[in-house]
Order: sequence, then C-alpha cells, then structure tokens
Amino acid sequence: MLQTPESRGLPLPQAEGEKDGGHDGETPAPTASQELATEKPGTGREEGATEPALTRKGARALAAKALARRRAYRRLNRTVAELVQFLLVKDKKKSPITRSEMVKYVIGDLKALFPDIVARAAEHLRYVFGFELKLFDRKHHTYILINKLKPLEEEEEEDLGGDGPRLGLLMMILGLIYMKGNSAREAQVWEMLRRLGVHPSKNHFLFGYPKRLIMEDFVQQRYLSYRRVPHTKPPEYEFSWGPRSNLEISKMRVLGFVAKLHKKEPQHWPVQYREALADEADRARAKARAEASMRARAAARPGIHFW
Amino acid sequence: MQGSARRTGVMTDVHRRFLQLLMTHGVLEEWDVKRMQKHCYKVHDRNATVDKLEDFINNINSVLESLYIEIKRGVTEDDGRPIYALVNLATTSVSKMATDFAENELDLFRKALELIIDSESGFASSTNILNLVDQLKGKKMKKKEAELVLQKFVQNKWLIEKEGEFTLHGRAILEMEQYIRETYPDSVKICNICHSLLIQGQSCETCGIRMHLPCVAKYFRSNAEPRCPHCNDYWPHEIPEVFDPEKEREPGISKSNRKSLRSRRH
Repeated sequence: MLQTPESRGLPLPQAEGEKDGGHDGETPAPTASQELATEKPGTGREEGATEPALTRKGARALAAKALARRRAYRRLNRTVAELVQFLLVKDKKKSPITRSEMVKYVIGDLKALFPDIVARAAEHLRYVFGFELKLFDRKHHTYILINKLKPLEEEEEEDLGGDGPRLGLLMMILGLIYMKGNSAREAQVWEMLRRLGVHPSKNHFLFGYPKRLIMEDFVQQRYLSYRRVPHTKPPEYEFSWGPRSNLEISKMRVLGFVAKLHKKEPQHWPVQYREALADEADRARAKARAEASMRARAAARPGIHFW
Repeated sequence: MQGSARRTGVMTDVHRRFLQLLMTHGVLEEWDVKRMQKHCYKVHDRNATVDKLEDFINNINSVLESLYIEIKRGVTEDDGRPIYALVNLATTSVSKMATDFAENELDLFRKALELIIDSESGFASSTNILNLVDQLKGKKMKKKEAELVLQKFVQNKWLIEKEGEFTLHGRAILEMEQYIRETYPDSVKICNICHSLLIQGQSCETCGIRMHLPCVAKYFRSNAEPRCPHCNDYWPHEIPEVFDPEKEREPGISKSNRKSLRSRRH
C-alpha cells in the first residue's frame, strides 16, 4: 500500500490511517473538482471541533465529507505527480508539449484545476529536477522544459550518453548559421557536413540518418527553423536558429565553440563578437527583469505556500 | 499526521544534476553512479564532503516520494552487479518505454516479455518471438523489421541478447517488477531467498524452488555440501561466482575483470 507522503501542497486533514472506500455513502460525495474548488486553504482541519453538540447523523456526515476531501486531495497530489512524470518523459523527446495532450493523458476531468495542477507540477520540476516549465507558445498552449542548472564548463562536460554526438552536430550547424549572419542556405549546411563525412541519406554510426535527424528531429524540437527563401527559382531553403536554441544556448557560447574549432579567439570575428556581446547584455537584462517580477509576485501572493 | 515523522530531504543543485544524469542514462552500474555523484559535487559544491552514496540516495528518495518515483537499487541476475535506475512506484505498465516506441513495437516487447516469463530458462528465442509478429497491435510489422526493433530494445537496455536468445535487462526488471507480478501472477517465478521476481536462476530438481545466481552464490558461500533450503536434497548445480564489491578496485582496472566475468558460462 502506498504511504501517503507528506504533501508539499495543500494541507491534508488529519487522517488516522483510514483507507479509501470505507465510508457508508450516506451523503453523496461531491466531484473532486467541486470539492477542491470550494475548499479554502487552511480550513481543512476538523470542523467538528467548533461544534461540541453533534448528532450521530451529523457526525457521520462530517466524517464522510472529511473522507471525501482527503480522497480528493490524494487524487490531486497523484495527478500532479503523474503530470510531472509525463512532462519529464515527453521532454526527453524534446518535442513541445501541448495543453490538450496534458489534459487528455493526465489531467482528465480535473480540467477545471488545470492552472493549479500545472503550477504545482512546475514547482516540483524546479525544486526537484532543476527544470523550468516554460509556456513556449501562448497561442497554441505549448510548453517546454528548460534546464536551469548552470551550464557546464569545458572540463565539466560529462558524458551525455546517447545525446552527446547529436548535440555536437547541432552545435556545428548552429555555429555555421551564426557565422553566416544568422541564416545559412541548406546547401551550405550539407556542404559543411559532407566535409565531415556526414551525408544526408547515408546511415551514420553516430547520428543515424542525418537528413532525418536534421530536417525532422531538430526542426520538430524547435532547435532549427527551416524556411523557404523567397523569390528563389528553383526554390532554395535556409536554416536559422529555432526558438529552443535561442532559449537554451547563447550566441557567445556558440561563438566560443567556433573559435575553439579554429584555434582562435572569439574576438577574431569582430562583427559576430559585437553581436554576441549585445546578446549577453540582453539576456542579463531579461533575467534581471524576470527575477524582479518573480520577487514582486511572491511578495504579493496571499498565504498559499507550495513549500 | 501519518505515522512516522519522517523529514523530507533537501535538494541542492548537486542532487538535481545527479537526478538529471541518472534520467539521461536510464540505468547505471554502481561504480558509474559513484563516479557521477563525485562529479556532481565537483561541479556544484566543490568543497563539500561527498555524502555516502546510500545516504545521498535516501535523501533524494525522501523528496521523490511525493512524486511516486524513487531511485531503486538492484543487482544483475547473471553476475550480481549492483545497478541503479529511476523507477515509478505506481505501476503503469511499460510507461517509460511508451514515448520511445510505437504501438506495434511496444506490443512486440510485451509478446517477448510473456515468452520470457513463461520460459524455463528465462530466455526466449529470437525465432519464437519473431513468429508472433502477425499478432501485433498497430501497424503491420515484418520479421526483418522486428529483428531491428529487438536490437533497439537491446541498445536501450530493456533486453539482453545471448546467442540468439533474449531475456530481460536488469533495468526492465527494476522498472517493471511490480507490473509483471500483477499482470502475470500465475506464471511469474520468485526467488526462494530474496523473494523478488526471478527471470534467470537455478532451480532444485526435486522440489522446484528457484534461486537467483547471486542469491545461490551468497547462500552457499563456503559450503562444501550445498543442499536445497526447502527439501534438503543435494543442490545439483555449479555454484556460480559473482560480483564481490571488495574485490573491485579502481574502475579503470576492474573493467577488464568485469569483461572476463561476463563471458564466463554459468
């Protein structure tokens, strides 16, 4: 039997080791959504304590209500836990997760509590795993996970398991795109890869089929954007950094990577270096703004604490 | 309050990095886990003393409890090597595999799993598995394709292959033990010593009880006349030699030892 753990969420009413399904059904239990929506935080304790003269029927009704409330809390906690696992497992594939997927596979009829469930799941992801759940596309309600742990130094780059070589390949492409002024023609990308012994449709022992990896996986995962170049005949296509790349990696890091490849300093390319510096400043400003607004929100939040 | 006043642990970036890496790798051997733990300290908290691995993991598990997952320790069935994986506490079948594999591939795994559990040796032959491709749910799969899918399972450490036969990887046993016990209660085998799920092992020819190879090794250690713990008949099999943590030295040296242990026939 699973022990109910100390909840890191809403306070649980006192439970004397009672199991589910033990109540006699005298009062119909409200649906989980209803129960939780009307529940005010901090009032989940014994209401009977303030009413000394209770009839037996009244006491049983209260006990049934308390049991239903406990069940609802357990169900909510369970759903949050399932959502956390769902997000972790989906993120491994690196494709953005939609709200409708979350509702379909995890949340179900607790849909009305979606914001609360997502917020609690996000907090677990942050505290336990060091990931930030980010609303990636407001219009399509898609989310991604971003790693908030500090990026690793060169010496600290550990074995990333199966992902290492693919990310290396991605870095090469991001580098090329950046150095060519933030977009590179498809032909240029394949030319560079061919020089490295990587051919689009030839199975590579590290990358599998490069064409599929780059054109499908990286584009789907939003690491790369693939667009048709207007007014070209026959039509030509170009790659640029995808929105996930902009979030997960900085221009300065990519410039550093390229510089190392050529055994030079980043300053060797003054245009790209200036651009990378400006990008660093932008990121620092955005980070400061985000931290300030988070502090303001935390100060304004009324009593509910998730931790 | 429920029962004991267990205090939830504290997570720092050391623990978070450790969790992230463990999730990336899926399953790791103990020496690798220790190395990884030291690495996480080095990156995030250089001057702190490295916690004993058991305490370190217990700390993380107390935080993971409210998420119904835990870092579980097991041993490989063939040579008793300790391994670690992050597993679900609530059984939801083959959920972790579900994102990496298509519906027909998952069904192939389920078919292989059934054959493995029903078998006497804990191994299912490639031929027998492939003969079931017509019964798979989802998109139709040819035998050639199924062979590649089986290889994918081996690469992702869900199955082990030995001479054309397949059995469960230690990772699959760690992740799915509860699911297997609940789904196949009649055909599942249990070890007489540790009472855990048994896929590969030795059995008594008289009374039929079974034991894992590492459990056999431990139970009969320095026993000149091994006898069945249940019926007291002579134990008819060779007592295997398994992993001994005291004998392992630095990972660099012991890696070659490990290779020779693995190739030993039991």
